[in-house]
Amino acid sequence: MRGYAAAFAAELRTVRRDRGALLVLVGAVLLYAAFYPLPYLPEVLKEVPVAVVDADHSALSRRLVRMVDAHELVAVRFEVPTLAEAEALVRSGRAGGILAIPDGLERDVRRGERATVGAFADAAYFLVYRQALTGLAEAVGTLSAGIEIRRLHAAGLSEAQARAAREPVPLLLRPLFNPAEGYASYIVPSVLVLILQQTLLIGIGLLAGTARERGEGGTTASPLATTLGRATFYLALYALHALLYFGVVVRVFGFPHHGRPGALAAFALPFLLAVIFLALAASHLFGRRETAIQALLFTSLPAVFLAGFSWPPEAIPTWLRLGSYLLPSTAGIAGFLRLDQMGSSLAEVRTEWLVLWGLTATYFSLAWFAAARRPARGSSGPPPGRE
Amino acid sequence: MVGQPIYPLLLVVLPLVAFGVLWAIFRQGVPRDLPVAVLDRDGTALSRQLVRMIEASPTMRVAFRVASEGEGERLVREGRAYALVTVPADLERAVRRGEAIPVVCHYNAQLLLPASLVRRDLRGVVGTLSAGVELRRRHGAGTPRAVAMAQLEPVRTERHTLFNPELSYLSYLLAALLPAMLQVFVLVAAVQALGSELKDGTGAAWLAAAGGRIAKAVLGKLLPATVHFWLMGLAMVAVLFHALELPLRGSLGAIVAGTLLFVLAVEAVGLALVAWLANLRFATSAAAFLAGPAFAFSGITFPVAAMPLAARAWGALIPLTHFLRVMVDQAMRGAPVAVSSLPLAALAAFALMLPAASLGRLRRVATNERLWGRP
Repeated sequence: MRGYAAAFAAELRTVRRDRGALLVLVGAVLLYAAFYPLPYLPEVLKEVPVAVVDADHSALSRRLVRMVDAHELVAVRFEVPTLAEAEALVRSGRAGGILAIPDGLERDVRRGERATVGAFADAAYFLVYRQALTGLAEAVGTLSAGIEIRRLHAAGLSEAQARAAREPVPLLLRPLFNPAEGYASYIVPSVLVLILQQTLLIGIGLLAGTARERGEGGTTASPLATTLGRATFYLALYALHALLYFGVVVRVFGFPHHGRPGALAAFALPFLLAVIFLALAASHLFGRRETAIQALLFTSLPAVFLAGFSWPPEAIPTWLRLGSYLLPSTAGIAGFLRLDQMGSSLAEVRTEWLVLWGLTATYFSLAWFAAARRPARGSSGPPPGRE
Repeated sequence: MVGQPIYPLLLVVLPLVAFGVLWAIFRQGVPRDLPVAVLDRDGTALSRQLVRMIEASPTMRVAFRVASEGEGERLVREGRAYALVTVPADLERAVRRGEAIPVVCHYNAQLLLPASLVRRDLRGVVGTLSAGVELRRRHGAGTPRAVAMAQLEPVRTERHTLFNPELSYLSYLLAALLPAMLQVFVLVAAVQALGSELKDGTGAAWLAAAGGRIAKAVLGKLLPATVHFWLMGLAMVAVLFHALELPLRGSLGAIVAGTLLFVLAVEAVGLALVAWLANLRFATSAAAFLAGPAFAFSGITFPVAAMPLAARAWGALIPLTHFLRVMVDQAMRGAPVAVSSLPLAALAAFALMLPAASLGRLRRVATNERLWGRP
């Protein structure tokens, strides 16, 4: 017990004395929370510039152009005479979509023949593509429905009958959890979880590398007490960070947050423990101070896409998907996302919860084993120069 | 340089692993067979046809047949299904009577990518079913097929996908993520190579070996790394456009030159960080801060034009943003080279102006013994 308390206190002293570690374990955690959401803050991409090629020059085509311009996802920025000119605008990145109205649109509609309007979108950027095509297609669809409903009215059908006649099986789309489909709400909550993991791994690795450089190491305390004492210190520190992220940051930015505090805490416990023990075990690999940052910087982007929130896990090869569970972020992000953004219960994330406890047990054993075999550093011994 | 074990790791092993993992993640290109749950309250030939059509769509797979809305929503909350499609009771009878009751799709809008794929395919499926029903009805009432088609949709939209017709994530994301990783490799290696002279207190000897000329010293240090990473960048280009056969519609020359300028620009950033922070660890931390979230600011996922000014300004200070413009414009869009002249010039400006502003400072800090060996 004395060894445990001493290890806790020694870790606190070590971190407080080391400006670099403080920068990662506290500074980066705070800074990233403010900095990372920045590009995504508009949430929904609107008013994508589109170019119009109107070969019809009729009242109907002008009405269509006005309807496209009125759609919130797109804005008519260019009117050019040919499709080639419009495509050049997209090629140079000045327009994200094209509306091509053929000659004879109004005539065909009046004759009761089917008219076709071209909608082109820039698939070099998928978000631009989706918004431009949705905006164009919805505007054309509204125009088309209006024409047909007027015709059906004229044939003596009531409003409801007319609607049923033109669309016998309508589709009602009900977005859940992030109804506006906001981009920051989609990305940032998951990345916050990854930031907790990466800063812990880097911070602990940095301290271990420093101790190794200084030739510290060797401790008389029991490896078990040392491992547990150090882990408890980081758990306490990161419980505060988690409270900040899940309690304050998501609210400040207005991300969906439905998580019950108890469930979030119960999930955060094995997540943080798994990361801390992984960091303690892995820190034995870092012989120099900056090695941890260098090595772990490589893992951030792959970890994002392995976590399943941006790229569906079903599309990842099985061996890689199973392997990705060795990173606490994979189960951690999936669980936090469902608990907090989707309002799931703890029982509904039990798989992830159990995976994290499994990782906690595994990495704890490794950290303990590593500490017993080769004490990483003398954090639990007397601090240098104070004997 | 090769003597230290960190260099083979940073220069070869980690880059190859990171490239390989990213390639494996996106190998499929387009996600298929995403699991959805279906609640069929109708149980008629029409509803069964709808379920079959969902199953046959490329994006969706009917992984669960549920008996209640609660059961289906739980599957969505458990992350096992991306959507719950509810076919209303009496669908077929309502259709026969000329009433319209909707098919309802609750989908997980928190996961934007599957959400947009499922929504698009389901719209297509239900639209096809609906149009088929209406076409048969009007055809049955004696309207010729072509006229019925025209009545059904007086103005149709013909959708054209420019540049990436299959909407492949290999072309879109992998081609942008590999350069993002390359930026990490180059920045970390450049900072390590220059910063370790300060940390190990070998700056004076290093400078003396170059006859006291800092530019020569830096050049001697970074030239092998530049060649190494340019070759790695060219290997990346070869993998993307040759092995994976992603489209390259514009100028290969602009991409090859852009890759060199990109490597030089990132090295220049590393040089500036070491010179002005005068400390390997701080410079490494700053490099991490710069390179870690750089992809988010590059405009690939959320376009630059829609970002707040501060985010755009920050993005412009990162070489990756400019290099990805070159990649997208030249590879995907096949834009004229002139379109890429501005981002190429920006990369060249990094490579020229940062060293011009930092070399003097680096010379001073390299020979300042007080800055040596700081943790």
